[in-house]
Amino acid sequence: MITIDNISKEYNTVEVLRIDELNIPEGQSFGLVGNNGAGKTTLFSLFLDLIQPTRGQINSHGIVVSESEEWKPFTSAFIDESFLIGYLTAEEYFYFIGELRGRTKEQVDELLSGFKDFFHGEILDQKKYLRDMSKGNQKKVGIVGALIGDPKVIILDEPFANLDPTTQIRLKQLLKKITEERQATILVSSHDLMHVTEVCERIVVLESGRPVKDIKTSEATLKELEAYFAERSEQETENADSVEESNDEQQTG
Amino acid sequence: MKKLISLAWKGFRRSSYFQMNLAIRILIILGFIYFGGIALIMGVASFYIIKKAMDVDDPLMIVNSFLIYWFLADLLIRFFMQQLPVMNIKPYLILPFRRRKIIRYLLTRTGVSFFNILPLLFFVPFSIVLLIEGYSIVSTLTWFLSMLCLVFSNNFINFLINKTNAYFYGILAFTGALVLMETYGVFKITEYADDVFNAFYEQPYVVILPVSLLYLTYKLVYNYIRKHFYVDGAISKKEEKISKRDFTWLDRFGKMGFFLKNDLKLITRNVRPRQVVLMSFLFLFYGLIFYTQDIYRDMQGFIAFASIFVTGGFLLSFGQYVPAWDSEYYKLMMSQNISYKKYLESKWSLMTTACFLSFILSIPYIYFGWEIFSMIAGGAAFNIGLNSFITLYGGALNRQPMKLNEKAKAFSNTQAFSPTQLIITIPKLVGPIILFYIPYKIFNYEAGIITLAASGIVGLLLKNQFLNFIEKTYQKGKYKTIAAFDEKQ
Repeated sequence: MITIDNISKEYNTVEVLRIDELNIPEGQSFGLVGNNGAGKTTLFSLFLDLIQPTRGQINSHGIVVSESEEWKPFTSAFIDESFLIGYLTAEEYFYFIGELRGRTKEQVDELLSGFKDFFHGEILDQKKYLRDMSKGNQKKVGIVGALIGDPKVIILDEPFANLDPTTQIRLKQLLKKITEERQATILVSSHDLMHVTEVCERIVVLESGRPVKDIKTSEATLKELEAYFAERSEQETENADSVEESNDEQQTG
Repeated sequence: MKKLISLAWKGFRRSSYFQMNLAIRILIILGFIYFGGIALIMGVASFYIIKKAMDVDDPLMIVNSFLIYWFLADLLIRFFMQQLPVMNIKPYLILPFRRRKIIRYLLTRTGVSFFNILPLLFFVPFSIVLLIEGYSIVSTLTWFLSMLCLVFSNNFINFLINKTNAYFYGILAFTGALVLMETYGVFKITEYADDVFNAFYEQPYVVILPVSLLYLTYKLVYNYIRKHFYVDGAISKKEEKISKRDFTWLDRFGKMGFFLKNDLKLITRNVRPRQVVLMSFLFLFYGLIFYTQDIYRDMQGFIAFASIFVTGGFLLSFGQYVPAWDSEYYKLMMSQNISYKKYLESKWSLMTTACFLSFILSIPYIYFGWEIFSMIAGGAAFNIGLNSFITLYGGALNRQPMKLNEKAKAFSNTQAFSPTQLIITIPKLVGPIILFYIPYKIFNYEAGIITLAASGIVGLLLKNQFLNFIEKTYQKGKYKTIAAFDEKQ
């Protein structure tokens, strides 16, 4: 169980995120959607105690993440490429994470053997450092790295971006399987509404740092989300038009 | 061409240099003024100084006899410090620019470098002085032109040895052979070098040689880039072959060995740390400068100073960039299952192990007598017991991110360098001198050494307390450090 309690984050007195209350039960697959700058990555960074909340706190399995380091053993994440060590090969990286999470080389190998399809022969035995890999392959490494060591909370920021279509499908299968077996709570953000609705049981829409929708996923969810963002887009065009008009008026006036 | 220059200007204006804080900017400008000023003053004054001090009629001859060393040293320094232009060529490839133009522009840009300007600051005034002193105009001009060509040839040679191993090893073997033959008296290059440099003045037509050397090196570089002028080619960063060494033998040292293993990979697989380790190796020989000179023999403070560097080279040069070494993946380190203390402890053991190794390597210094060697030993104890902790503590205040796989540039890359570092350097270097000097003055030499060594041992005994304190400091600055390392460079 993860509880968000009155959390807010401000940069120079501008509030970029504010969530009064949000509870994520154990084992739920939780999706976060929103336009750029809506606060998705900010929220994830707060989960990982990478930034300091201005107010409030996040409690993960009984541990306040900004006060104790005890959440680290059961939490893993892949936010961006700064979660990869560029001068290691993929194998070395996996063993590195494995070792940090108390897994032997053999255990890591066994886990990796389950990702043969996902890797599509482009990750292991490549004789390449991670910094020389393509963005898509880096992402694959990061995602699998986040699954090592049976974490109870897995945080993935934009996991579908940069992946090829086959891998996107495989990733969806993978995430669904984890959810079905109730192995871990998964927190995913995405710009792709279709992927999120397929993978997540629950979707929260963020807008300008505030949760504006909290949906239990159903058949109708995709339509609902699409309608929502279409409306947003129309509103924004209108706003822009009205600004333009007022500018025109000013000019003519 | 104009467009390219305006783009480069934008790139320069918007680069980190102008976004750096004022203190660093002032430091850089001061550095420029300092080195530039020295070069200028030497350019004007060296003629007269040599004439006076050595009592010779023709100071140019003396200067000429040193030039071969100048140019070799210049090449060496360039190799370590001069950053080659990594131009982002991708956007230009599809734009209507002629390749020739881009390459020419790129090569011209390498010319505008601190390493080319500095020698000019010397040679221009020096040549003017020559003219004033009545040297022949034509000869002086050809000599100056030769120097100019050689400076820029070095510029291009540096490009070649940086890019192709063949040139690198070729030139390394060539100079190595020359040095060997020189020391064993088989063939004294310096005698002939004199003649060559003198010829630039005495026989003006010899100027053909450096001019063609410049042309040749330019052409070689030009062709090299032309051949590799594709997105996966020479000026974009190249993929390396991976190193087979994975240091698994360190596994038997448990958790600590695991971190050490990763640090060794960090050092061997990235340009910047390799550079630092090489530099710190050179510090091993730092003592030679001081111990061989009689004037320092009686200045015990200097001896103490030098001795700290002999064993502390790695500690000081690598340690000051902890935790910036991990800045590229700092978020991972902060959210993975690592305790801060273990992380710091592993860095500490890496530094102290290196100190210990340097100490063993410094045993030949016994040649200079037990007095000096005991000072080195005392310095090693201080380095291991106290300096290691001071350095780690200093790291907590250093929030400059660092690009691992790029060379440090002189004056244009101040990544991972901050004024706080200068301040933290003071206890690292002045501390041991004081610890030695006061008891030395009050009692005797031995008392000084013993105090120095004892301070190190006390530090070791307090290891846990120190580490806990440092860990707290790191924890306190955690968010700031993450945010700073996250900034796009």
